[in-house]
Amino acid sequence: MKRVFQTLGFAALTLFVLLPLVQVVLLSFTSTITREDVVLGSATWLNFANVFATERLAASLVNSTIYVTLNVGLCIAVALPAAYAFSRYRFRGARAAFFTLIAFRVTPPVVLSLPVFLVFSELNLLNTPVGVALAHSIFNVPIAIWILESFISAVPRQLDETAFLDGYSTPRFVVTQLLPVIAPGIGVTAFFCFMFSWVEVVFARTLTVTDGKPITTAIGSLFGFRTDIGLVMAMTVLSLIPGLVMIWFVRNHISRGFTVRV
Amino acid sequence: MTKDPNRGRPWLYLLPAFSLLALFGALPMAINAWHSLFDVFTLDSKLWVGLDWYREILTSARFYESFGRSLVFSAAVLAVQVPLGLLIALNLPRAGWLRSLGLVLLAVPLMVPWNMIPMIWLSLIDPETGLLGQAMAWAGIDFDHRFKALHTWILLIVMDTWHWVGLVAILSCAGLASIPAAYYQAAAIDRASRWQVFRFIELPRLRGVLLMAVMLRFMDSFMIYTEAFGINAGGPSGATTFLSLDLGEEIKAFDYGPAAARSVVYFAMTLAIAFAFWRAMTAERAEAA
Repeated sequence: MKRVFQTLGFAALTLFVLLPLVQVVLLSFTSTITREDVVLGSATWLNFANVFATERLAASLVNSTIYVTLNVGLCIAVALPAAYAFSRYRFRGARAAFFTLIAFRVTPPVVLSLPVFLVFSELNLLNTPVGVALAHSIFNVPIAIWILESFISAVPRQLDETAFLDGYSTPRFVVTQLLPVIAPGIGVTAFFCFMFSWVEVVFARTLTVTDGKPITTAIGSLFGFRTDIGLVMAMTVLSLIPGLVMIWFVRNHISRGFTVRV
Repeated sequence: MTKDPNRGRPWLYLLPAFSLLALFGALPMAINAWHSLFDVFTLDSKLWVGLDWYREILTSARFYESFGRSLVFSAAVLAVQVPLGLLIALNLPRAGWLRSLGLVLLAVPLMVPWNMIPMIWLSLIDPETGLLGQAMAWAGIDFDHRFKALHTWILLIVMDTWHWVGLVAILSCAGLASIPAAYYQAAAIDRASRWQVFRFIELPRLRGVLLMAVMLRFMDSFMIYTEAFGINAGGPSGATTFLSLDLGEEIKAFDYGPAAARSVVYFAMTLAIAFAFWRAMTAERAEAA
């Protein structure tokens, strides 16, 4: 009886998740505006061909990839030492530091967008992938620290102590010995940073006024007097692919488990 | 571990992360707080108005109405997504390809750019071409998200659940997987019921990740912007105008003074909420230690 309910539940969940996506894929292969040579509503590859033929759409895929990659690299680089400190030391101010992380993680981009825009325009960080990557690190650095901390805490302290007896400095130990052990944690962290950065709209849009526009802006700009919804959906399908690849790589690490020890 | 003679060392390790946050998060917010005391025409020409903007915001009925709507929306989102996410995590197979498939499925909606989420759902419920819209039309359901407030709300909550329930489920799954098998064996020896296992083993061990999930879901739904705007731009007649939509409108209208003040007010609310979760989480840590 329990098996039946679980199977039904799984089927219902699958339907709920996939139905909107099926709609997206169907529309992406449908001709949705009147053209001379293609019948409205017929199946076609045209939408995908049009994405790659439209320079700003293709460019936006590249722009997004650049700032997300920068963001993931930056977040892991600064979060790794911080996570190590949180995991291995008890120190005065740790609780306050933790509060700061929570506060930055939960501050909504729409609240920060205007202040960040004004400061970044002073610092010449507008219209560049670097600016967007920096803005996204406001909410991704705390996430990266929490996840890495949980993976580091799962590593027995003996590993550190043996290495220090062997004369390793802390940075050298972290890079040569700890990093390989927590590689799955790096993967999971990269996944979450990737995810929150790839889908974010408000910062990505406000910080790129003239140049370096991300996929989210490019998709948004397709809406107008005569919206080609098929083209919009083709763009959406393409924007999902990097994420799916990421999920596939980390699926086992996520399911093996980590606790967010706070 | 406290034996380390170099007492400043942990702070040295925190320095890169925290200078990044200070420079690109705290500094803009501080400058913004300064701007909020002016009527800003351009950044070079502004007029001191003191706390006028704050007075205006905090005495307007509109602010409290939006606040109430955001609170109700967050409550609904949490009431649906936390139990549902937990239920999914508890019933996902413990191993095998079905588990991998389930996790991948749960993560897919998280990967959709936020401004596309309302577009996808609007196409889905389109009565002419949408799969769900056609089904509802066939069943005789007159779904009208444009003009019926209740229907807009239903659409927003279903859409938000589709988007985010995976995060709650994935975090819960990760927490569940970290419970040592010995705990379950001990429970089996004691002939504990399924409910007892959940109540006395799983739930206490999940408290940390669940608090995290509740916090992320609460804040993101409380300040929902992109998705809610895409569905009905705050309508019908303001029924889904949440806090952040008011702010978004002021920013779009280049009302820098009031927008800056509103940012500060919302940031203060964010800090208060973060503080509440921080208290709950550090209490949990003290218990666990």
